Amino acid sequence: MSILANKDTHVVIQGGAAGLNAARRMAEFCYMIKRPLNVDAFVYPPDAGKTNEVPYGSGLLTIPVYKSVGEATAHHPQINTSLVYIGADRACAAGMEALNDSKIQLVSMITEGVPEKDAKLLARHAIKLGKTFNGPSSIGIISAGACRLGVIGGAFDNLVSCKLYREGSFGVITKSGGLSNEIIWICSQFADGITTAIGIGGDAFPGTDYVSYLEKFEQDPQTKAVVIVGEMGGDLEERAAEWYGAKKRRIKLLAVVSGFCQESLPKGMKFGHAGAKEGLKGEGSARSKSDALKKSGATVPDTFGALGPAIKATYEEFVKSGQVVPIPDLSPADQPKLPKTVDEAMKAGEVTVAPLIRTTISDDRGDEPLYDGYPASELINKGYEIPHVIGLLWDKRLVSKREAEIIKRIMMLSADHGPCVSGALGTIVAACAGIGMSQSVAAGLIMIGPRFGGAVTDAGRWFKYAVDNKMSVDEFLGYMKKNVGPVPGIGHRVKSLRNPDKRVKELVGYVKSLGIKTAHLDFALEVEKVTAAKKDNLILNVDGTMAAVLVDIGFPVESLNGFFILSRTIGLIGHWVDQKRQESRLIRLFDYLVNYAAPKRREVPPLK
Amino acid sequence: MAKVLEGPGMGLMKKWGILVPNYVVVTSVDELTKLSQVNEWMKKAKLVVKAHEALGSRFKLGLVKVGLDLNGAVAAAKEMLGRQVGSITVSQVIVSEMITHKEEYYVAVKSTREGTDVLVANCGGIEVESNWDRVKKLPVEVGAKPSNDALEKLAKDAGFTGGLAQKVADFAGKMFACFDNEDAQYLEVNPVVARESDGELVALDAVTLLDADAKFRHPDWNFPFAAEFGRAYSKNELEVMGVDSKIKGSVKFIEIPGGDTAMLPAGGGASVYYSDAVVARGGKLANYAEYSGDPPDWAVEVLTDKVCSLPGIKNIIVGGAIANFTDVKKTFGGIINGFRKAKGEGKLKGVKIWVRRGGPREKEGLDAMRALRDEGFDIHVFDRHTPLTDIVDKALQK
Repeated sequence: MSILANKDTHVVIQGGAAGLNAARRMAEFCYMIKRPLNVDAFVYPPDAGKTNEVPYGSGLLTIPVYKSVGEATAHHPQINTSLVYIGADRACAAGMEALNDSKIQLVSMITEGVPEKDAKLLARHAIKLGKTFNGPSSIGIISAGACRLGVIGGAFDNLVSCKLYREGSFGVITKSGGLSNEIIWICSQFADGITTAIGIGGDAFPGTDYVSYLEKFEQDPQTKAVVIVGEMGGDLEERAAEWYGAKKRRIKLLAVVSGFCQESLPKGMKFGHAGAKEGLKGEGSARSKSDALKKSGATVPDTFGALGPAIKATYEEFVKSGQVVPIPDLSPADQPKLPKTVDEAMKAGEVTVAPLIRTTISDDRGDEPLYDGYPASELINKGYEIPHVIGLLWDKRLVSKREAEIIKRIMMLSADHGPCVSGALGTIVAACAGIGMSQSVAAGLIMIGPRFGGAVTDAGRWFKYAVDNKMSVDEFLGYMKKNVGPVPGIGHRVKSLRNPDKRVKELVGYVKSLGIKTAHLDFALEVEKVTAAKKDNLILNVDGTMAAVLVDIGFPVESLNGFFILSRTIGLIGHWVDQKRQESRLIRLFDYLVNYAAPKRREVPPLK
Repeated sequence: MAKVLEGPGMGLMKKWGILVPNYVVVTSVDELTKLSQVNEWMKKAKLVVKAHEALGSRFKLGLVKVGLDLNGAVAAAKEMLGRQVGSITVSQVIVSEMITHKEEYYVAVKSTREGTDVLVANCGGIEVESNWDRVKKLPVEVGAKPSNDALEKLAKDAGFTGGLAQKVADFAGKMFACFDNEDAQYLEVNPVVARESDGELVALDAVTLLDADAKFRHPDWNFPFAAEFGRAYSKNELEVMGVDSKIKGSVKFIEIPGGDTAMLPAGGGASVYYSDAVVARGGKLANYAEYSGDPPDWAVEVLTDKVCSLPGIKNIIVGGAIANFTDVKKTFGGIINGFRKAKGEGKLKGVKIWVRRGGPREKEGLDAMRALRDEGFDIHVFDRHTPLTDIVDKALQK
């Protein structure tokens, strides 16, 4: 048996993220003892109507969120317990709401920093209604093998090592949440474990005191002894002592109290919990509590460390007298286990997973990204620049200083070409329509294709084809005419031999000045000589020049359009920011810029 | 509980209809002089000047001067302001009107588990402390209010008669209203005096403790809470408080001069048990510290740095219970970084470190601590199988 929390406990959790976290911990416990989840509903007005996901074993449960406790208990009439995880300023109202629900018998408040007056009002209201109010600042309540309310007990491994999957003989009442796991562990190592452990909270006036719970434990035949973990301040320990000493009790009482160090601290210096703030040697001191408990017949070890052996001695007496029959330990193989996450199972080498994607260029699983294996910061510190990063990520190689300079110049030449070209115009129209940066820039990038900026890859492909196949210019032009059409990279809308494209001249001049082998550029220039002789504007354009040079320095054909896209993105972002800065308004084409060649207005015939 | 100094305390009482003497709180003599030009009472009445700081025994320290005229008050303020008492500098004085009276009484309101006690005595001042049996008590259930009849009966039980009993009942009723509405935890007026001029009851001195947790519903609490500590905070303590206010979880640090056992334990509950164990084994605490609620590692590192910097320490107790959800490896990572830094700065010479802990990632955390042996630390590491405070026994073994 147990007290307060048992197999019939059904819970509503009032609260948001903290409440959901508790539900997940409670689900681990329910899974361990092979029982369905005891959380039936959440109450959290901001999320009302939604559902929360709670992992249970290897599956996921969906738990509804309601606006009010009344709504939750109407849908789930089996609910009899509420856990309050609502902030301190609204905790009192939330606790009252739960207490006032006829279905709910136990309200446990986890919220810390609740005003003392609110806590007292809640406690009194609960007493008036004949219900139990536990907390505030409670870590939770746990009954071994039956029910977990809140996060008490810690992680799954700890639940198992504290044997919380089956009940023992010791009850626990603790003010300190941080020591709850410790005392549960001690009971499981020095004795046969716990029946129920209750965190009553470290505030000065907990909603329910030791005496009320001691009486409940006294009525629970499975509980043979109760361990109190107390603190200085208040008089709850003295009252527990009074109760214990008043008459012969069935249960044995063990207790520890903290705060003796206070006696040897400089005057006025105090520390510990909110409840632990009272006099030195008078009422509320560790000494007065410890003395009262000793006098009542309770076992009071002088340090926390001595508690284990004291519990052990008590347990051994129970065994000797036949009150308790030792429970054999489960072998590790029989102990409950939580299904592993994929991460954990992989770490343990228990599963293999077929990867969904494969990458050969980068990895950011460490403390910084690696580009083709090189740490980004090291590249920076050793003087590498953007063109090298492009080389690593696009072609998996560290380009030379000279190649980097060529790439840089290409990028600089193509960064922008004014507002009238397709890409910039697309971005500007979008920006004026109030569209965000990434979408507006994408609107411009969409324009890049066979007629605008997107001929680099194709130009590179065919120049490379010609050079690889050792074609003469005539052979090449014949082949293109027959099989492909106009030569990509040749021809310009406005530029011509007499009005050359300065960008092309500049780039060709620079690359030529390096004295490197430029088979593709040379071939392209030969092609231009022939085509431009036929028609003035059939010159090698900037796309074709870039393409030939990039193929010359070894970039794969498929990557070539990327140079234009990347470079022009700089300009497109500029246009978006520019419009934004000017707070430009929505624009539309003027009618006079449109030739309305559609049919004139006419009558719609009847629908047939 | 949060202590409020006399000035704001009297302000709260005045708000609830309790008569208090005229008073001003000033930070400079210049301010006092200017105020005296507009406040008639300062020129007419005899004045009291007190240091407005969280200091005990102000009388003995000469920080209370009574029966002064304005010139005397200015001189007293001049003398008190800027005076150094221990680690506290007097930065404010409260100047109030002296109330001539014959009799002194006592009224207090105190929070109890069941509700509130109203306490009344027909003696006041230091006389109460030696005549505690003359203090009569009226318990009031939480949520309820004491009736005027009950308060009058209380006053009569305490020995007040006739019209004075009614006045005392009325005064206690206002004290209760102030207590109840202002989320107080303790209110004490000692003495309450009957003003000679008109016989009205006036609160001469107030002890006000408020519930700091209720601050959210008192936007008019625009005063700082006084340190309950008996001394001002040190630079290192303030630094840790600064970190504490910025993080999820908490780190706490209080220095205790003259100790040789340094504390670096986890958890509000366990940290006090560890401190108790040190005292029980005859050790002298060099500090109180605590980290809890899964704080970030850098915050624990700052705390470690302060602990390692304590002068004259022989042992460091890195204790802790089995954590619920504090990540042992992560928080120990912060401690380890702090230890390494301290060692690099030449600290920790001859200092023994004692570790005991459990909780999430305990094995990794404890292994990392153990590995410090190879770096030359005198460190002793124990897991959950060693009882909580046994490392203190080991550390302090003669």
